Amino acid sequence: MTFDLTISVADLLLLLPEIFLTCWLCVVLIVDFSCPRLPHTRLAFLSVIGLAATLACLAWFDATHVSGALFGNMFVLDRMAIFFKMFVVGSTALVILASMQYVDRFTLFRGEYYFLVVMSALGMMFMASANDMLSLFVSIEFSTLGFYILVGYLREDLTSNEAGLKFFVLGVFAAGLLAYGISLVYGETGKLVFSEMTPTHTTGTMIGFLLIFAALGFKIGAVPFHSWIPDTYHGAPTPVTAFLSIAPKGAAFAILIRLFFVALASFKPIWVLLLVAVSILSMTYGNIVAIAQRNIKRLLAYSGIAQVGNVLIGLAAGTKMGSDAILFYLLTYLFANIGAFAVVIAVAQAIGSEEIDDYSGLNRRSPFLAFAMLLFLLSLAGVPPLAGFIGKLYIFIAAVNEGLYTLITVGLINIVISMYYYLVVVKKMYINEPTDPSPVSISGPMKAVVYIGLAGTLVIGIYPQPVIEWVVDATLMFSNMVGPSAVVTPPLPPFGG
Amino acid sequence: MVEYILLYILFAPFAGALALIFVSNRQPMLVRGIAVASTFVCLVAAVYLFYAYDPVKGGFQFVQKFQWSKELGIALHLGVDGIGTPLVLASAVLLFTGVFVSWHITDRTKEFYIWLLILAAATIGVFMSLDLFFLYFFYEMSVIPMYLLLGMWGSHTKKYLEMTDPEGVKLRDSVGFIFNFGANSKEYAAMKLVLFLSAFAVVALMGILLIYKYSGLNTFDILVLREQANLMNIPALGTTLDKIIWILVFFGFASIAPIWPLHSWSPVGHAAAPAATSMLHAGVLMKLGHFSIIRVAFEILPDTTRELMPIAAVLCVFSIVYGGLVAFYAKDTKYVIGYSSSSHMGYVFLGMAALNYVSLSGAVIYMFAHAMATGMLFAMAGWVYDQTHTRDLPSLGGLSNKMPFIAGCFVVGCMASIGMPGTVNFIAEVMIIVGSWNKYPLQVIVAVLGIVLTMAYLFNMMRAVFYGPMSQKYSHTRDAVATVDRLPLLVMIAVSVGFGIFPMQLYDVVRSGVDPLVAKITYVAPVARTDDETGSIGRDPAPGADRPPLLATHPRPRSLTSYASREHE
Repeated sequence: MTFDLTISVADLLLLLPEIFLTCWLCVVLIVDFSCPRLPHTRLAFLSVIGLAATLACLAWFDATHVSGALFGNMFVLDRMAIFFKMFVVGSTALVILASMQYVDRFTLFRGEYYFLVVMSALGMMFMASANDMLSLFVSIEFSTLGFYILVGYLREDLTSNEAGLKFFVLGVFAAGLLAYGISLVYGETGKLVFSEMTPTHTTGTMIGFLLIFAALGFKIGAVPFHSWIPDTYHGAPTPVTAFLSIAPKGAAFAILIRLFFVALASFKPIWVLLLVAVSILSMTYGNIVAIAQRNIKRLLAYSGIAQVGNVLIGLAAGTKMGSDAILFYLLTYLFANIGAFAVVIAVAQAIGSEEIDDYSGLNRRSPFLAFAMLLFLLSLAGVPPLAGFIGKLYIFIAAVNEGLYTLITVGLINIVISMYYYLVVVKKMYINEPTDPSPVSISGPMKAVVYIGLAGTLVIGIYPQPVIEWVVDATLMFSNMVGPSAVVTPPLPPFGG
Repeated sequence: MVEYILLYILFAPFAGALALIFVSNRQPMLVRGIAVASTFVCLVAAVYLFYAYDPVKGGFQFVQKFQWSKELGIALHLGVDGIGTPLVLASAVLLFTGVFVSWHITDRTKEFYIWLLILAAATIGVFMSLDLFFLYFFYEMSVIPMYLLLGMWGSHTKKYLEMTDPEGVKLRDSVGFIFNFGANSKEYAAMKLVLFLSAFAVVALMGILLIYKYSGLNTFDILVLREQANLMNIPALGTTLDKIIWILVFFGFASIAPIWPLHSWSPVGHAAAPAATSMLHAGVLMKLGHFSIIRVAFEILPDTTRELMPIAAVLCVFSIVYGGLVAFYAKDTKYVIGYSSSSHMGYVFLGMAALNYVSLSGAVIYMFAHAMATGMLFAMAGWVYDQTHTRDLPSLGGLSNKMPFIAGCFVVGCMASIGMPGTVNFIAEVMIIVGSWNKYPLQVIVAVLGIVLTMAYLFNMMRAVFYGPMSQKYSHTRDAVATVDRLPLLVMIAVSVGFGIFPMQLYDVVRSGVDPLVAKITYVAPVARTDDETGSIGRDPAPGADRPPLLATHPRPRSLTSYASREHE
């Protein structure tokens, strides 16, 4: 196999967002080093500006239908990749806005925090484009590297250290599984690019793909690969938890969609069973264990496990509509989850606690935060007229068209279970009286994040058609999913066409 | 302008809620003013709708359709027929009066009205949805405000408050507490209500998804589905698919109705809720169940409905008897009214199960009538609770000296609830009983005995609250004298008695909705009044038809073909 590494300027333009962000990242780092007295909030705004510019560039790509492939199909830029890149970049920008106040808690390396966040985002942008076992491995490890440091950023905090260590050990273990799986698959098929693979039903390929799935399952936190999630989410700095709960999941789902829909299209009857099992386990386990949680971050961690189970329903459907639903659902999840975490950060800033009991009477202390949290939790639960409801319904429609009735039944039952623990938080906020009635204040950037989350949750819930059209267009390449080679990389583009 | 009337009715409360967000809680009069203004717009539009609805033309009128999502086949398709119109009116009346009933709420007034308006608007949305998605959307949307309304402004039961010993405190939040009847906290009631309704809502959603898939039309539009969806004779799980869907839809929606044995959330919820919420809850929220069954199961699966509706005829007996007996023995004003509502919903199911023109019309009119009667009773129970801070029947008594106006209205409310001639409830009850007699005589006998039971417990409660010796601790209580306090009761009495004396518009509107539906389900042509006005009663108009209804005084002869042509309206 040969790589054609002669790339033209037009090809390089496909990498423009990544190149731009890398340069911007260097600027952020240099500014941080050269101006040690600069308040870190300036660096935060600098990073957000860079991310916003990247987002604008991606939006331009999306509007002008730029697409193409580089390095012998290792790196593809199609509309789905652009969608996930925008997802990652957007959530990163929101996370940085939400963490500006929180960063004061770090005793050292405040500036590097932003560098590491954006660096992880860069890795995840490559994940969204990975179309090859090698680029998959490299981009996953690249993005996780930043997280290893970020999770343990509260150096004096033992839970943060524990979280970092747990995440690191299990993460490295997952990386080992991934590498081993890739080597098995390569040994059996002799190919690395997803779209060129014609896997046969040999034991080696099966084990190889199972290992790769296990590694990706670790990234998204699906049962039974979830064991790191609660402690890591609990111990990590809250903005990092928010970041960890959204962006890597999106990027990993981009890879999962490519892996299952492209490389493993001929295995569909087998992996549907696998995904159904994992999905049922994730939803049920996540929701039932969430009931017992007393800490809001752990609650959101378990609810995240359950949400991933919901997204896997769309993957199990294995159709174009299933992939649409995944994209749509992830977007609704992004707004609701970042909003919920922003409220958690704001409340923790004011009252210094993340226990659910300390949310008592939040409605009297800050009606705005309580109302926002109410809407975010209800969106996660899937209550109309919020975005999460449409997301869940979209997923269920995709699944019912494939006749996955067991999965839908379990999913519907889980909606009711999840309603309970979300409402317990609502009860604390609205019904219980506060022990300390002093008002809770909220900083400007945090307010912006909450407003963006609210806007996304409400607008997508009430008028989702533009977003539906967007995700339907983003996955057009799966519209004729029939065989293993159904996806052809789009012809190389005249730029801007 | 007039063609958008449904949008005014639906969005006036939403607009009110939105406006309230920007008002401060420190201006309670402004908050109430906005609530009154938006609900008044809603009420006026609903009254206009009721009289502008043309019963001769029938079918769905004032239809509005906005494409919402092409990919998923969803449109915001609004329209009312003869069944939806009176229920929209009932919702608007209860919302308008509910705003006045909750006039004296001082804790977080703004939030209260926001959730109340959203609750009512969502309810109204169900009554005018012609799209399965939006029907479910509004249905589910009406559940969450209930949680907050019950939890934030509701009240505990007396027994709960008396449980002060440490073991009792431990017991009251445990699982075993479910079996501790009559001693619930408002939080428990709210959570039970939401989980119960959500659990059965997803059952109905499963049915809706199956309809969506097996119709293969990629649409949620009820009008398209009822014409084109062919769901019959698809084998599934040892029976046919249409039966499975019907069961899912029926029990999913019947839980909110609430049919026995799925009723247990309902009286608990009624009891815990603040007065205006109880009114809306018992008055219209419960009717979402019957209405959705009619709209989804009856419209889309008429043949299965004919086959399986006897299930409802069996269960309604238990509803009537069980609800009535519990109401008789209950010692809490709101429990009595709550269980009486559960019991009375059994009559609606009886009328629906009999599936003929008179009984189904009676059922629809009963929904309207019950909304008014139970609204009155809950409003007054709320007033008594606000004044005395107790709902415990044994400790109340003799209040008629202190509140003659409330006591007088309470008598009217009881009369309406029992179904005295002169109130619209009477007409509804008679139609249900007469219409169901041929098919379900046993149930009718039970239903008539149920009326006697209703008299027993309502008179019992009236005596316990308003007559007999009065405890001195209630000497500070006062009557409803202010206009804002009297207005809601007078409005509901006026509607109830007004339609009781002049029922023809209501009857015509309801018949125009019921007739095509029954014709489609039973293949029996509706009975028109014969020309000679005298005594054609007893003559079968078509082979196998039911007896001509005693009350079928409809002036226009109708035939099946005229309905067929009207269907496309």
